[in-house]
Amino acid sequence: MSSRKGQRDAARVVREQLAREKRRKRTLWTSVAAVAVLVIAGLIGYSVWSGQRTDEFTAPKGANEAGTGIVIGSGPVTIDLYEDYLCPACKQFQQLSGDTINQLVTEGRARVVFHPVAYLNRFSTTEYSTRSSAASGCAADGGKFKEFTDALFERQPPEGSAGLSNDELIDIGAGVGLNRDDLASCVSGGRYKAWTEHVTEEASRANVTGTPTVRVNGTDVADRSPAGIRAAVEAAAK
Amino acid sequence: MNVTAARTRAIRWPVIRPWLGVAARLGLAAVWLIAGATKVGDLAASGRAVNAYQVMPYDLATTIGAALPFVELALGVILLLGLATRLAAGVSAALLVVFVTGIASAWIRGLAIDCGCFGSGGQLAAGQSPSYLPEILRDLGFLALAGFLLIWPRTPVSVDGWLAGDTRVEDDDE
Repeated sequence: MSSRKGQRDAARVVREQLAREKRRKRTLWTSVAAVAVLVIAGLIGYSVWSGQRTDEFTAPKGANEAGTGIVIGSGPVTIDLYEDYLCPACKQFQQLSGDTINQLVTEGRARVVFHPVAYLNRFSTTEYSTRSSAASGCAADGGKFKEFTDALFERQPPEGSAGLSNDELIDIGAGVGLNRDDLASCVSGGRYKAWTEHVTEEASRANVTGTPTVRVNGTDVADRSPAGIRAAVEAAAK
Repeated sequence: MNVTAARTRAIRWPVIRPWLGVAARLGLAAVWLIAGATKVGDLAASGRAVNAYQVMPYDLATTIGAALPFVELALGVILLLGLATRLAAGVSAALLVVFVTGIASAWIRGLAIDCGCFGSGGQLAAGQSPSYLPEILRDLGFLALAGFLLIWPRTPVSVDGWLAGDTRVEDDDE
């Protein structure tokens, strides 16, 4: 009796061991499969990203040496402006302090490097940030970067919209005195899209995490009011 | 009174638990799918969001920023299917711990960024101030879902269950 019970017990133990072994194998292989899926997903992401990047870019006329922005004026103090044409806070900033900055430039006290970054592509349905920035490169070629930039902020489309069409960008450019045909081929051909990407990437690399960012001789200016900018430029000139 | 209450609870828990597990699994899957989907359309912005934390070199940040949305989507799909649930929950928990640590460190260092959790490129909207505490609490909530699945990974309607042949095995492995 007891030995038969012992045999039954032994058989049960063996069965249980086999079942456990089977479970362990199954767990191992499902885990391997899941990890493989995750790793492959990451690699796909990396290769998609690599495919999207372009290394070659041509900077428009009037760009600084690094090709990261358009230079306005030639004063001793450098004011770096990082702005996105779609960013409402940038428009406010231009309205508030644009005149002061213009004055500092015309007085010969500062030069502006304007970085038209494309940070907000997700907030338009047509990558307006990239298109408008690339168009500003075309305007720089025609020597009307400042006028075009002011006009773009004037006509700023709301976030979440389709933004201005390429035709509208060309109209605005022609309105500030650019040659319509040159501008049209430059904008439609996306000549400065790679440059925009370069400007945007270098701004990120410089830890510009938001727009507008204002730097005077490389230092962030927290107070972006006319008085604040004037004070920062005066302090930097000393 | 007390005895019946205790007994109904004892009966209820084994009945409810698998369905709580399904809810946790699908909830966590939805979190990852949404988080991945909002980032995948703009990988450059995803890289900027990672870089905004200023904890790693720019080039590494953009690489991670590009890979992360795809990993999140894959994790979402794996959880949705219920494949290797405990492993997926473990990876989820690990990622969430990294995110919470990142947000906390940005807070401590006084950075003014958006967490970029659901695709904002790390940039705060105009006039917006950082909301680190709600972001951390939200991630801790997700971490609780992952924790539930780490402890009780076996849920109904899952590939794991299907592979096991739906035998009522003890779900202390997987």
